[in-house]
Amino acid sequence: MIDRTDNSADDSSLIRASLAGDTRAFGEIVRRYQKMVARTVRGMLGDSVFAEDVGQEVFIKLYHSLNEFRGEAKLSTYIQRIAVNLTLNEIKRRKRFFSTFSQKGNNEMYEYEIADEGTQEKREAAELVNKALQAMDPRFRVIVTMRLLQGYSTKETAEILGLPVGTVLSRLSRAQEQLKGILEKL
Amino acid sequence: MKTSDLKKLMLDSLGNDADPQTASSRIEEACGDYDFRTGFDERVMKRLEGGGEAVLREFDFVRSMNTVFYRIALTGIAAIVLLLVSMALSEGSLSFNTFLGLGESYDESMVYMLTGN
Repeated sequence: MIDRTDNSADDSSLIRASLAGDTRAFGEIVRRYQKMVARTVRGMLGDSVFAEDVGQEVFIKLYHSLNEFRGEAKLSTYIQRIAVNLTLNEIKRRKRFFSTFSQKGNNEMYEYEIADEGTQEKREAAELVNKALQAMDPRFRVIVTMRLLQGYSTKETAEILGLPVGTVLSRLSRAQEQLKGILEKL
Repeated sequence: MKTSDLKKLMLDSLGNDADPQTASSRIEEACGDYDFRTGFDERVMKRLEGGGEAVLREFDFVRSMNTVFYRIALTGIAAIVLLLVSMALSEGSLSFNTFLGLGESYDESMVYMLTGN
């Protein structure tokens, strides 16, 4: 079950301690939110060798921008925004490179390493979800990742992505159509 | 979960009437949880403290090589195009002789040197 506990009060004290130079407090923030970031980054990038790299960048960027965090949104929302932006940048960078110089695409860089070892059935299910997500347009992939892997409502997704709710709803509907076509081929 | 059931679950989860939290929990049940490799938090902290560059050296190297290759290749292509255009403009054609630097003009001084006439 995805942990959706409201840690706002606790987060505030961890942020204050981190800003005061307590690295253990920031380590606690990393531990608390690493799975959430992993779902976004690995959901959108697949289990590529760059997923962990981007995951680390998310927390490094968070660390350097903690003093800009006003507390108007939840810390989890703030971290999600960073994760989505960095992941979309990485997708753009890879698309530019692979479309210019490689006929093979970036699928060969995937290393299927599922965190929960699980059964063969789980591995196959994870691979199916991964393949379907990677085949989607990034604009839709981010919406589907927020919905399927994070369990965010339309309103929460809109808040994280900085989009109107109507836009999210329309993209969800188009994403559903695209996903249907992709899943028929898998 | 059967593949067909998983596909149905994914599609239904995107519907307006679906509960996103229930859907994501069922997806997690079917696929396992997403996480980074063990020790992720330690690697982040090491990187923050400035001692973790080595951990990602290989990835950084690949990324740098990609960027360098991209730039060199584009510069090379641009240089070749410029060279071809300048050759076409100066020689009036792009014949094989032009590539080899052999002009079409008759060089009298060369004939004089070779024959003495």
